[in-house]
Amino acid sequence: MLAFLFILFAGMAVSCALAMVAQRNPLYSAISLIGVFVSLACLYIMLAAPFIAAVQVIVYAGAIMVLVVFVIMLLNVEHEERRAPRLKFLVPVAVVLAAVLIAEVAFILVTVRDFGAPVSNVGLTHSIGSSLFTIYLLPFEITSILLLMAMVGAMTLARRGGLLSANARVVPGSQQLPLSIVDPRAEPDDLRVVETDTTDEAARLLGVEGVRDQSKRD
Amino acid sequence: MEPQLSWYLALSAVLFTIGVTGVIIKRNIIAMFMCIELMLNAVNLTFVAFASFFQDVTGQLFVFIVMTVAAAEAAVGLGIIIAMFRNRETLDVDDASILKL
Amino acid sequence: MDTTIDIILKFAAITVVFVVVLLVVAYTVLAERRILGFIQGRLGPNRVGPGGLLQPFADLLKFILKEDIVPDKSTRFVYFLAPVIATMAALMTMIVYPFGPETRIPFTSITIPLVVARFDVALLYVLGVTSVGVYGIMLAGWSSNNKYSLMGGLRSSAQMISYELALGLSLIGVILLTGSLDLTQIVDRQSAWYGARWLILLQPLGFIIYMIAAIAETNRVPFDLPEAETELVAGFHTEYSAMKFALFFLAEYINMFTVAMLATTLFLGGWNFPFIESILGRGTFLFGLVSAIIFLLKVCLILFLYIWLRGTLPRFRFDQLMNFGWKILLPLALLNIFLTATLIVLFPNL
Repeated sequence: MLAFLFILFAGMAVSCALAMVAQRNPLYSAISLIGVFVSLACLYIMLAAPFIAAVQVIVYAGAIMVLVVFVIMLLNVEHEERRAPRLKFLVPVAVVLAAVLIAEVAFILVTVRDFGAPVSNVGLTHSIGSSLFTIYLLPFEITSILLLMAMVGAMTLARRGGLLSANARVVPGSQQLPLSIVDPRAEPDDLRVVETDTTDEAARLLGVEGVRDQSKRD
Repeated sequence: MEPQLSWYLALSAVLFTIGVTGVIIKRNIIAMFMCIELMLNAVNLTFVAFASFFQDVTGQLFVFIVMTVAAAEAAVGLGIIIAMFRNRETLDVDDASILKL
Repeated sequence: MDTTIDIILKFAAITVVFVVVLLVVAYTVLAERRILGFIQGRLGPNRVGPGGLLQPFADLLKFILKEDIVPDKSTRFVYFLAPVIATMAALMTMIVYPFGPETRIPFTSITIPLVVARFDVALLYVLGVTSVGVYGIMLAGWSSNNKYSLMGGLRSSAQMISYELALGLSLIGVILLTGSLDLTQIVDRQSAWYGARWLILLQPLGFIIYMIAAIAETNRVPFDLPEAETELVAGFHTEYSAMKFALFFLAEYINMFTVAMLATTLFLGGWNFPFIESILGRGTFLFGLVSAIIFLLKVCLILFLYIWLRGTLPRFRFDQLMNFGWKILLPLALLNIFLTATLIVLFPNL
């Protein structure tokens, strides 16, 4: 009975993972990954870890993947564009290595003798809570600071900045770049080279021209 | 027969390998990010399996911390992806080559 | 042999709960239309059957027989998947609510608690499954290939994930006071002192925050901007017709029912009612039946509160809604946790 359940959930996890890697549309990849997370949560329940299973569904399937699907929808990513030139001679190598992996897995499954799994009681909320808040209190507190850092970082990255418009591109340093990168109004394949000096660019975009000349005069 | 510890470890290895393959093959940065999450989950499965078979709760606590770190990484990573998209209008990793010699 | 009886009992329990839920939800739709009618000074539907009692079946027939329209350029697989996810996530939470105490099935000697599944992390399970329900709405908005649907879907899912936080935090006070995540145990802890241990008396602020967050989670007035008829056409379910729209409609009302059941279990004492246990005796079949009926009556009370709010309040604008969720409700929920923790430290015998 348990072996049947294990094969069911493991099969679901592996097939959803393969579907995720094989799909071209990133939204379908995201849905397959949600399938992987849910089947892993079922495996955790079989391993006497109900708290971790619930947290897995809440955090991974319910929060992280919601964020990923949001980003996919907002950026309107449809499908992968032009195929990369693949090195044809590596395909047989990949097949051989995959066969080696499958052979190793089969060897493990057949020859390694059993570890004798009694159903354990370690995963109950009570035991997790009592360990988390006594022995492992320091990692817990550090994790909270880590989350604060992540929040501040994400908000800083996604902010559009005060004075620049949404389409402004300020490139660092003085360099020679194609016009298509520097000027958002140019054609995307306009490859005329211009010299950009960040201070002048920024001054023009920010609308504070002439300030630099003042400093030169001093 | 009951599922053995080796079964769970084999499943974890297979999932991890699929994740690595995805990171190598994919060119869309969001898909690469999702394959990294798959790798993290494979490792989580290993920890929980050992915690159950050795009757020690430390494995599950580590999984708790790994999930929190993955959530933080997801937030910051997607912020970087959005910033990259705003500058380049494309999510192809091969186009992010300004620093290339 | 024992496991076979267990499995048969579980399947029977699931079937009973499923049928009861669907019936109650169908009649909630009818009740809403009648009560809204009375609030607005008119009668609701009262033609079909005595007093309109067969109206849900007429609605069901209409939904089944309508033409199923699929938009041309939509993403087919995701378009069909979205209402399925929404309904599944709504139905999966039914199994953890305790409808009654341990009762003895008549003519046998089997004693079962009146709950389908009893496990350690039931409250987290409910929170997790409602988090997965957000996908139904998001994918519906995206796959319809319609800008109004997309906007409605994005707004609705942003609202849902924002208020999930306040919902979860408001439940921490309950967990602190009862010391368990198991819903059966939470109800058992509320069964002393003739109703004075119901958590609504010990956690009034928590109850208010929970109700507001729950109304926002289920996309009801005053938080129903993403799907109101006068706003974005019909929001994320604009392009859905016939049976798929019926699934979304069903999912919304089942969500309402779920949230009302959770409120009853956590705050209103579940199946408890003062003096019933001393009259009827513990563990008898009659006690179990009366307790289940009392539970359903309390749930209907909260559903009436939902419908009453729909007839009375105007709706929030979207930025007001997000402002309220993040800047007012979340700090209030944190304040509630601090107050509860302080009270527990000061009065450990609570």
